Amino acid sequence: MTEYLVVKFPKPRKVLLNDNPLGNTNDLLPVDEGGKYTVSLEKPPYDFMPPEQEIDLHDTAPLNPLEVEFEET
Amino acid sequence: MAPRRSKSLIVVLLLIIHIAACAHYPLNQQSSSFDKQGGYRFEHLKAGPHNTDKLFICLAFSGGGTRAAALAYGVMEELRRTRIRVDGEEKSLLDEVDVISSVSGGSFTAAYYGLFRERLFTDFRTKFLERNIQGELFARLLNPVNLARIASPWFGRIDLAAELYDREIFEGATFAQLEENGRPFVILNATNLGPGRRFDFTQEYFDAMGSCLDRYPVARAVAASSAFPLLLSPLSLKNYPLAPGYEPPWWYPKAEEPKDWFTRRYDAAKNLNFYKDKKNAYVHLMDGGLADNIGVRALLDAYAHGFIQQKILDGDIKRLVFIVVNARTEGEDRLSAKASPPGFCTVLEKTGTTAMDNYSFESVAQLRAELNKREQAQEDIIAANRRLEKCPGVPKFPEPKMVDMYVVEVNFKAAEFIGENPRYYLDLPTTFCLSKEQIEKLVTIGPKLLNASPQYKCLLKVLQAEAEGRPRPKECPMGAGITGN
Repeated sequence: MTEYLVVKFPKPRKVLLNDNPLGNTNDLLPVDEGGKYTVSLEKPPYDFMPPEQEIDLHDTAPLNPLEVEFEET
Repeated sequence: MAPRRSKSLIVVLLLIIHIAACAHYPLNQQSSSFDKQGGYRFEHLKAGPHNTDKLFICLAFSGGGTRAAALAYGVMEELRRTRIRVDGEEKSLLDEVDVISSVSGGSFTAAYYGLFRERLFTDFRTKFLERNIQGELFARLLNPVNLARIASPWFGRIDLAAELYDREIFEGATFAQLEENGRPFVILNATNLGPGRRFDFTQEYFDAMGSCLDRYPVARAVAASSAFPLLLSPLSLKNYPLAPGYEPPWWYPKAEEPKDWFTRRYDAAKNLNFYKDKKNAYVHLMDGGLADNIGVRALLDAYAHGFIQQKILDGDIKRLVFIVVNARTEGEDRLSAKASPPGFCTVLEKTGTTAMDNYSFESVAQLRAELNKREQAQEDIIAANRRLEKCPGVPKFPEPKMVDMYVVEVNFKAAEFIGENPRYYLDLPTTFCLSKEQIEKLVTIGPKLLNASPQYKCLLKVLQAEAEGRPRPKECPMGAGITGN
């Protein structure tokens, strides 16, 4: 079951899902299977908070993705 | 005289025992350390001089003995003949092929092209297609030395077959040569009899086994992929879990949440655990057709959470093409007109093939469904954002990377739509010995079926329009490459 994720960050940056680069911030990211993952952003520069976030991806849709936000520091 | 004859008999018996005791299949090599970047994996292969990521082409070659190999060969010839222009450079469609996933008979064509490239079109017919391979296998089997060797529990008929393929077809090549040649990435599919799951000859699978694929003979992988049950014995590998520094694939951590037990991610994690378990010291492989007789599942995995998904999300792939060469046969239904139930042999044959055929059909259907889902999501978001343009200040929906997708299937069943008799092809046997006439017909029908496919026609029209700077042809809107128009 495909789930959908958007990682919000003011700058374009590679998104890391379980430490694996998987698309870019502010894009709609289809993820083949839901469940638990760790989301972070590629570094350097280490200019975001929090360092990583645990998500449980389920019940999303292309027009209703899970939104995860990182703040610029 | 009698004692002398007895002595001779004893000597012969001792010799047979000695030969049998010495016979052992070659072992795959243990890795000294885990190297995430090295080995035979897609990410590590260089693209060819005329290959772009923008147009990403994946081929799937089904099983079906020489019939499948010849059909795949005909399609390869046509892809080589078809000229396209991408970013101003003229090339063949074959130059743009990035991945070939193959099973059983199709693996001979895939591996031969992966290793020897242009030679496929000059000597593959004589070296494989037009040869009586099963006759040669049988002759080797009757050799007294080989009879003694296969008496060993560590050496089987499959090892004899692999020796023949290695010497006569693949010239002792290993995966290091496939790696050196770069794309297309050739995925040779077999079936792991223990868990009953698909097994790919890629470094990703060998990583989990703590083994290095580089020095492993390609011929043995092709033999495993085409080890037809009962006629050939299983091919065995040694499992050495785990290489120092091993890191599982990215999707593996947290995949085994009990609440997710029904998902494919959970199931894939359990399959990976098989190789991580030291108790499973050996992997016994048979024909890839037992797990997926069409080669599409490995591509679906790469699309769902592997290198294809990565390239889509990075925005590298603009046009994604899957060409499925399906050499499936189908005997005429003579059962349904009879009052008496079918006999033992018919029931046995149906038991062996019905589930596999249905699964192959469903694999292609799933591929279409997965691509269609992405296409639908793309269309929905574009439509929603177009409406939002009328509402100033309202933020738009985030858009995915847009991909133009195609699924082309070459299947004997479509022969009737081009004025050919499908029954001729659907009745061909699964064997490694076909007549020259049968080979010629198979090599000829492949391009005809390919060119008759509405999805393939659309692909060529769209590529031509783009090359000439014209708008996309109206008869081929986005999505027409998946379901037809």
